[in-house]
Amino acid sequence: MSDAHESDVRGRDVPADVDRAATDAHDYDVPTDEPVYRCDRCGRPFAREDWLRLHRGIDHPDALDDEEVETYRDAFADEQAEIRRFRLKALGALILIYFGLLMVYAVL
Amino acid sequence: MARRRRFAAIAVAVTVAALALVGRASAHGGSLGESARRTVTVPTWLFLTTGGAAVGASFLLASFVTDRSLIEAIHAWHRRARVPARRVAVAAARVVGVAGLAAVLVVGFLGPEEPTANLAVLLVWVGWWAGLSMSAYLLGNAWPVLNPWRTLAWLLPSLDRSYPDRFGAWPSVAGLLGLVWLEVISPLADDPPLLATTVAAYTAVTLVGAAVFGPATWFRRVDPPARVFRYYGRVAPVAADEGGLRVRLPGTALSEAKLVDGVDEVAFVVALLWVTTYDGLVTTPAWRDLLLPVVTAGVPPLAAYLAGMLFGYVFFLAAYWLAVYASRRTARTFVAAEELARRFAPPLLAIAAGYHLAHYLGYFLNLAPALAEAALTPFSAPAAVLVLDLPGWFGGVALAAVLLGHLLAIWVAHATAYDLFAGRLQAIRSQYPFTAAMVLYTMISLWVVSQPEVTVPYL
Ligand SMILES: [Zn+2]
Repeated sequence: MSDAHESDVRGRDVPADVDRAATDAHDYDVPTDEPVYRCDRCGRPFAREDWLRLHRGIDHPDALDDEEVETYRDAFADEQAEIRRFRLKALGALILIYFGLLMVYAVL
Repeated sequence: MARRRRFAAIAVAVTVAALALVGRASAHGGSLGESARRTVTVPTWLFLTTGGAAVGASFLLASFVTDRSLIEAIHAWHRRARVPARRVAVAAARVVGVAGLAAVLVVGFLGPEEPTANLAVLLVWVGWWAGLSMSAYLLGNAWPVLNPWRTLAWLLPSLDRSYPDRFGAWPSVAGLLGLVWLEVISPLADDPPLLATTVAAYTAVTLVGAAVFGPATWFRRVDPPARVFRYYGRVAPVAADEGGLRVRLPGTALSEAKLVDGVDEVAFVVALLWVTTYDGLVTTPAWRDLLLPVVTAGVPPLAAYLAGMLFGYVFFLAAYWLAVYASRRTARTFVAAEELARRFAPPLLAIAAGYHLAHYLGYFLNLAPALAEAALTPFSAPAAVLVLDLPGWFGGVALAAVLLGHLLAIWVAHATAYDLFAGRLQAIRSQYPFTAAMVLYTMISLWVVSQPEVTVPYL
C-alpha cells in the first residue's frame, strides 16, 4: 500500500501530500454479508464499484493507470447523467414548494 | 460551462424567490425581548410550514452545487492579518477581563439592588452571556484572552495531574446542562448578591480545577463556558492564529474533520443546541400549561424543570443519532456511524448560533445603554434606567437569524458530505435524514420564538 504513495504506476514521483486519502483515514464499519469493493491503495471499502472508481479519481488522481483513468471518467459521466435527473426532480420540488405556499398565502 | 451557468441562473432566481417568500412571512412574525413577542397574524401552522419549507428548499438549492473543487475552494479560502501591537492588545484584554470579574464580585454585593441598574447583573447577562457570545460567532472568539479565570489560573501554581481520558467531554456536558438549569430556576438575573455569590463559587471551582489539571487542560476539556465560546468561535469569520488573525468565510471552519473528535463531543454540541432551545421553551405558555398539572400533583417545580431539561436533551440526542443511522442507510456508506456523527455535528453549531442571536439580540440592544450607564456609575442607581426601544420590524430580524443559522448549517453539512463520500449523489442522499431533522427543529424553534413570553412559572 505504501509503495503506491511513493511513485505512481507510470513511474512519476508523487509528492506525499497529494495523497489526501493517506492522511485522513476514516473509521469504517463493514458488514460481512454485503459485497465490498476495496481501494487497493488506501484500503477504503465501498458498497458500489462505481464509488470505488470515483474515489480513485478523487483521492489518488496522480496514481492511476490509463485504464483506471478511463473507468473514473465513465463513472463520472454516468453519475453526471444521474445528477441531471436529480436536478430536474429537485427543481420540480422547489417549484411545488414555492407555488404551493404562494397559493396558500394568496387564499388566506 | 454554459450548462453550469444556466443552473447558476436558475439557482439564483429560486433563491431570490424563496427569500421574497420568507421575507413576507417574517414581516408577520413575532418580536423578541422586552418589547414583548407579538402574536403572529398568519396562522401558526402556516408560519411554521413556511420556515420548514425554507430549510427544505435550501437543501434542494445546495444540492445544485455539485462541483467538488468549487466547494473545497470556498471552504479553504482564507486570508491572514497581522495584529498591530499584539502583546499590548492581549495584555489589555486580560486586564479588562480581570477588572470585569472584580467588578461583578464587588458591585454584586455592594451596588444598587435594582437588577437593571446593577453592573454585576448587566455585565454577566447583557455584556457576557448575550454580547460576548454574539461577538464569538459573529466576529471571533475573544474569550481565551478575556477569560479572567484563565488569566488568574496561569498565575497560580499547578499540580498538573493528568486528566482521566475516559471522562472526555462528559463533565462539560453535565456542567453546561447544570449551569443553564441553574440560570433558569434561580433568580440569578434579578438578585445581584446571589449572582455575585454564584460567580464566587464558580471562581473557586474553576481555579481549583485549573490548579489540579493545569489551566490548558481545564479550559480545553472541562470548563463549559470556555468550550461554548470555542465552539461558537468556529462559526465566526475570524480566528486567532500563530502570530496573527485568520480570516475565512463564516461557517467554513465547521467542515474541518478534527473539530469534534468523539461521541462525548457530539453530546456537547447537541447539549449546546438543546440548552439554547430550553432557555426559550420555559417562557412559553405551553410549558406553563404542561407544568401546571405536574406541580399541582405534588412534584416540586425544581424537579419538574430538571426532568424537562433531561428529557428534552435525551430527545434531541436520540433524534440526532437516529438521523445518523438513517444517513448511513440512505448513503449506503460503510463509514462508521460514530464518524458520521462526529462530522455532521459541527453544522449544528451554526443553528445554535442563529438561535442564540434570535433569542438575545433584542435583549442585548435593549439593555446595552443601561450597561454603559452602570459601568460609569456602578455604585449609584440612576433615576431612570436607560433602555433602547426597538422598532416593530425587529421581530423579523430574530426570525431571519433562526433561518440563516439553518441555511448555513445546510451548506456546511453539504460541504462535509462532499468531503466524506466519493459519489456526488451519494453525498446528497446522505443529507436526507439530517434535512428532515433540521426541518423539524426549525419548526420547533420558530414556534418557540413566536410564542408570547411569560415569566418563568412556579419559581
Ligand atoms: Zn483509496
